[in-house]
Amino acid sequence: MKSLLLSRFLLLLPWGLIVILLLDTDSSRAPPAPPARPPQQAGPRRPALPPIYAITPTYSRPVQKAELTRLANTFRQVARLHWVLVEDAARRSELVSRFVARAGLPCTHLHVPTPRRYKRPGLPRATEQRNAGLAWLRQRHQHLPPPQPGVLFFADDDNTYSLELFEEMRTTRKVSVWPVGLVGGRRYERPVVENGKVVGWYTGWRADRPFAIDMAGFAVSLQVILSNPKAVFKRRGSQPGMQESDFLNQITTVEELEPKANNCTKVLVWHTRTEKKRPLLSKAGFAHLQSLLPGVWPVRRKQGKNRVLLNTVFYH
Amino acid sequence: MLRRRNLLTTLLIILPWALLLTLWHQYPATRYLILLRKETDENATAKAHFNGTSPLREEGLPSCSWQQASGVAQKVIQNYVYSRPPPWSDTLPTIFVITPTYTRPVQKAELTRLANTFLHVQNLHWVVVEDSPRRTNLVSNLLEKAGLNFTHLNVESPQSLKMGGSWIPSHKPRGTLQRNLGLHWLRDSFNNTRPPEGVVYFADDDNTYSLELFEEMRYTRRVSVWPVAFAGGLRYESPIVSPAGKVVGWKVVFDPNRPFAIDMAGFAVSIRLILERPQATFKLEGVKGGYQESSLLKDLVTMDGLEPKAAHCTKVLVWHTRTERPMLGNEGKQGFSDLRMEV
Repeated sequence: MKSLLLSRFLLLLPWGLIVILLLDTDSSRAPPAPPARPPQQAGPRRPALPPIYAITPTYSRPVQKAELTRLANTFRQVARLHWVLVEDAARRSELVSRFVARAGLPCTHLHVPTPRRYKRPGLPRATEQRNAGLAWLRQRHQHLPPPQPGVLFFADDDNTYSLELFEEMRTTRKVSVWPVGLVGGRRYERPVVENGKVVGWYTGWRADRPFAIDMAGFAVSLQVILSNPKAVFKRRGSQPGMQESDFLNQITTVEELEPKANNCTKVLVWHTRTEKKRPLLSKAGFAHLQSLLPGVWPVRRKQGKNRVLLNTVFYH
Repeated sequence: MLRRRNLLTTLLIILPWALLLTLWHQYPATRYLILLRKETDENATAKAHFNGTSPLREEGLPSCSWQQASGVAQKVIQNYVYSRPPPWSDTLPTIFVITPTYTRPVQKAELTRLANTFLHVQNLHWVVVEDSPRRTNLVSNLLEKAGLNFTHLNVESPQSLKMGGSWIPSHKPRGTLQRNLGLHWLRDSFNNTRPPEGVVYFADDDNTYSLELFEEMRYTRRVSVWPVAFAGGLRYESPIVSPAGKVVGWKVVFDPNRPFAIDMAGFAVSIRLILERPQATFKLEGVKGGYQESSLLKDLVTMDGLEPKAAHCTKVLVWHTRTERPMLGNEGKQGFSDLRMEV
């Protein structure tokens, strides 16, 4: 009798364990934290972190998916970051739609095409896209009572962001600023800070601008955007390089700026740019190369030497 | 009759235990998706984490769903909570990533975004090999702060081989000495008698890697291969895979006669194989550009031993991106900006 019970119990035991495991994973309950971790603050509900909204204009080109991928890899490390992707296109592209569906972080996919007359070199780019991001934010919060927590910044898809930057910008009350690496023709560009206030600009290009800062060098609190519903990036009457100044002039003054990154002495964001990809085997490609390397590119050489140089070019 | 009955009962007894073991093996994989909240002072840079339900749901925000690439059960995970990096698992094979790097203005940016990617991958050990006479503070500090498992090495290339030396590249391959040092460190650190489960991958610091790639390469038995975007002057270069699942050729335009017409970012080698063949290294002498990968792989495997990944080499999971040299004309000859500020 006893052995029968025992054998029955042993038979049912694994099934019982399986059921418990399945129930556990289904409800995705948090397993108890291992004791090695530092002591956690008690309390079931803590005040939520202010959300960060990253507005990223993007456009179709070969490296687009790569850029968005590595940007997503960074953004996914940041808590409460909402990604607003705005395509420069007349309709949502399949590539970005598929990407957004598997991005792994909360995102909003918008699109607005840039009018052709504004696509000339020297004119500011991505204006319509950033404004679309701002409009979406305003519309989403229009019926909510102030003050709304949150910070927004403009994240171009080829820049590089360190994780520290997001924690610095999260405490923005109105508009915060910090240094940007590899921009303005110098190793970095930064606001000059004295006694915790911004008093000038250290930059290699047009330091006379009211806000001599790159798009990647500031963040604005959401409430400031909502309180200034007419503040947008301008097209009419704007000069190249003045986009940031024209925008910031509408919402703040230099005295109100909050310097971050240890009084603007640390570089936490870099204005990297990715090389354009073009296949080098087309005739046009060769001709282009010839123009770049006058005198080096052989005009008439033996087949062997040509091949060597070809190998070189590929692995540059 | 009795024998068959005995067999049946034995099977019925073993079946639930086998099921249990597979589920148990899976369970730790979902465990790393838990974030713990750490609170610091108000002004200090708070490393923010979450516990329990995501506040996104409170706001009613639609969150994009994410399919766990590696898990057998395809779960749609709504709460993104990460510990940086995910806790080390004793059962998952380790991915050793060897990255040669050299000092130039964009170095810190490249390593930063690479670290941001690697922080997602479980059981990753980053071997960073600098092309310098001494380990630089920039890289040391970056590695310490990132929180990854890492090893920091350095070896200086002789002038003729220096990475990023002249703007007209010499046609000697670059990063060779550094990668070989990485392999040497692996062979020194691990015993051939009890090799760890793992795979070695050579990751240049300017490429772009998707997270799926690491899960594809993790279970490599010998050498696995996959397509690479923007390599060889094409949109992508890829191995040609037969319907039987074997690599039979290379879909490339640049020198298809190479024994292994593949980019450095397009293959991974199992640790066991590296330890079994201690003489397999990247060769320097007599190797033209484009043949570096072949110089290593020919000592390790033949074409029919290759394992095609990424859905039989139909998906692009790594991009051979390159970063533009930044315009620093305003620095002038003596340098203008304060060198104490690290960029």
